[in-house]
Formats: sequence, C-alpha cells, structure tokens
Amino acid sequence: MINAIIKYSLLFILLILLQILLFNNIQFSGYVNPYVYIMFILLLPFETPSWLLLFLSFLTGFIVDLFTGTPGMHSSATVLAGFVRPFVLRITSPRDGYEAGSYPSMMLYGFKWFIIYTLTVVFIHHTALFFIEVFRLTGFLTTLLRIFLSSLFTVTFILLLEFIRKVR
Amino acid sequence: MRNLLNFLERYNNLIIFLVLEGITFWLLSTGNDYHNTRVVKTTRGITYYLEQKFNNTRSYFYLKEINNKLASENVALNNKLDRFMRSDDSLFFSVSDTLFDQRYIYSSARVVNNSINRQKNFFTIDKGSSHGLDVDMAVMADDGVAGILVGCARNFSVGMSVLNLDFRLSARIKSNGYFGSLTWEGNDYRHAVLSEIPQHVTFGIGDTIETTGFSAIFPEGLMIGTISDFEKSGGDFYKITVLLKTDFKKLYFVDVIANLSKKEQLELETRFQ
Repeated sequence: MINAIIKYSLLFILLILLQILLFNNIQFSGYVNPYVYIMFILLLPFETPSWLLLFLSFLTGFIVDLFTGTPGMHSSATVLAGFVRPFVLRITSPRDGYEAGSYPSMMLYGFKWFIIYTLTVVFIHHTALFFIEVFRLTGFLTTLLRIFLSSLFTVTFILLLEFIRKVR
Repeated sequence: MRNLLNFLERYNNLIIFLVLEGITFWLLSTGNDYHNTRVVKTTRGITYYLEQKFNNTRSYFYLKEINNKLASENVALNNKLDRFMRSDDSLFFSVSDTLFDQRYIYSSARVVNNSINRQKNFFTIDKGSSHGLDVDMAVMADDGVAGILVGCARNFSVGMSVLNLDFRLSARIKSNGYFGSLTWEGNDYRHAVLSEIPQHVTFGIGDTIETTGFSAIFPEGLMIGTISDFEKSGGDFYKITVLLKTDFKKLYFVDVIANLSKKEQLELETRFQ
C-alpha cells in the first residue's frame, strides 16, 4: 500500500515535470498540444474509490493549471476525465474482467485494449479541454481538428512511455 | 432523512463531480480575463434578451398614451412648419397679427363615430366649437384627405367624409398640375373618381393626386390618393379612378385644418362674382 503510494507519487511528479518542461513547449503550428499528464489518471489502480479518483484528477489538473497560468481549464477537463474513467473501464472490460489489485497496463491486458481505453479517455479529456480553452462554438471545425491531432499525439506519447515502462 | 442519505450515497460520485466542476468553472471565470469576459457577455446577452421581451410586452400598454402624445406633437410641428413653408412669398403680406403670416392652423382630434357603407357617409370627431372648430374646416387623416366639417356642437363635430355623394373637392395630378373635380360614386370605399381632366393630358397609373387649395378649405398639396385606373368618358374628358390614400375603415386620429385667411380670400372673391 505504502509502496503503491510512493510509486504513484513518483509517477505523478515525473508526468507533471514532463508535461511542464517538455510537452508544453511542443507546438506544431498551433494545432498539436499533447497533454500527457492525463496518463496519471489512466494508470491509477482499478480499485481506486471514485471520490479519490475525482480529487486526484482535480489536483492534477490544478497543478498543471498553476504552471500554465490557466486557472480552471485543465482541472475542469481532468475532473471530467476522472469522472468518465470508471464508465470507460466498464465498457471496455475484457471478457474475464479485471484482475483484483491490478492497474490498467498494456502488459496485463494487451495492446489493443490499452489503446482503445487510452484513446477514449484522452479524447474526452481533450474535447473538454480545447472547447473550454476557446470557449465558443465559432471555428468549431478548427477546434475539432486540434482535438483530433492533439489526441493522436498524446496517445502516441503515452504508448511510448508505456513501452519504456514495459522494457524496464 | 434516510431517503436523503440514500440519495447522497447513491449519487455521491456525481455530486463530488459536479462540485469539483463548479469549482473549476469558478476558477475559470475569475482567473482568466478572456473566459470572464465571455461569461459576462453571455449572461448579459441572456438578461438583455429577457429584458427586451419584457419591454416589448410592457410597451403595448403604453401605446395609447404614446399615440396621443405623437398626435399632439404632430399638430405642434405642423403649426410651426406652416410658417416656414411659405416664407418665400412673405414679402406680399403685411405683418399685422401675432401669428405672423401663418395661414393654416392644425388641431388633432379622434374619430368617435364613422360609417362607410351608406351613400352619404359622415363621421363624428371628439372636438367642437369649444375647441375652436367651425364648419367648413378641412379634416385630414395622417396620410390623406378625410373630409370637411359640416356641423359643430360644443364638444363634437360632424364631418362629411369623402365617401359622400355630395362631396366635391378640387384636385390635381401632381406630375403635371392639371386639375379636376373629385367625387365619390357611392359603391367602393377605397376608390373615388377624378373627372374633368381633358384627354390630351398624359399621366400614368400610380400618379399622385393632391389637393389644389382653390377652395380655401384644404391647403395646397395634400395627398388624396393615386391613380389606379382611367377610361375615356363622354365628351373630351377622362374618368380617372383614384385609390384613396386614407383608409376610411380604420379612420381614428385626424387633424382638423383651419384656414385663417379664408374669410379674406372669400370676401375678395365675392366682389368679382
């Protein structure tokens, strides 16, 4: 238990640092802004109580907000992601369910499952985030394009990180 | 109480979610100038929209009052305007009265009784001799000629409407100035007939018919209607059907026009007849 808390704290710090120092500086023509910190929400154990999930989501988003100077934007989207995570897990669950005490990982449940799960949550998160960022419906298609491209890149980076974790 | 607890237990995730989203939204709208502006703009848009709806509804109740006000304002402006309109020939007037060279005065009134379906139609207005009205004064609706006063009591006057077989009015075609006599034939309340226009005159359908001012009752140039049809009648004259500008079926606010120099004109004219 303590072990898990330390492990997740380290993951949290690592992802926040990666996000702030590296990914926030990636900008391909303004359309691609990967937000990889969402991986922290994705990797929390299956048994995490919903209220804790929500509070952790809020905390994650809030800290990212502090560093990017956009109060409320990331927290809002991340809380939504934390809220939908249990539903997404229920829908995408494999035939024999999830193993007790485990967490969503590519190693345990396979590449295909992981990519569907990640893509769904990331897409919901990014949709909320980008629409909150522009905060209007004019230029709807442009926003949609940004959502698609950024989701694609975020998922790619999350897969890369997951592979690196697997190798180690 | 138990139900409430059950409810809270069942939906605690949703509640936490909504509370957290509420907090983020609050952060969003207070922390970011852009979002703040958008939120304020939207809420203002909504309140403005509602306010406008309420206002629209409310203004209906004041329409009557506003109409009265506008009518009296019109009269005041007409009174002023008449003085300026004829300033070009003021050299021929001796300035001897307080009204300077004003020739017509206007007074507003409301129609309280009206008919259109008889052969000799009259209307009653709510002002009379105590308001300075007298017989042989002109009555116009806000858009055209309505009739002539034929009888005045203290507080009411009766006017002969254009829709009366006895009504005669000197009228002319605005585009070329030929004048004739306007009468009503007794069948259609929208149309009157202009006769005595010779056949060499050219005009078209839609041309304006206006008053001539010869009768010393109506001022010159008041709109009567437009030409809607014409045919050659016996002799050398056209029989022109005129679509009346005034819709007598909805006659309500009228202006009474008094010619201040009528007496002078008539006295002069009778000396040569």
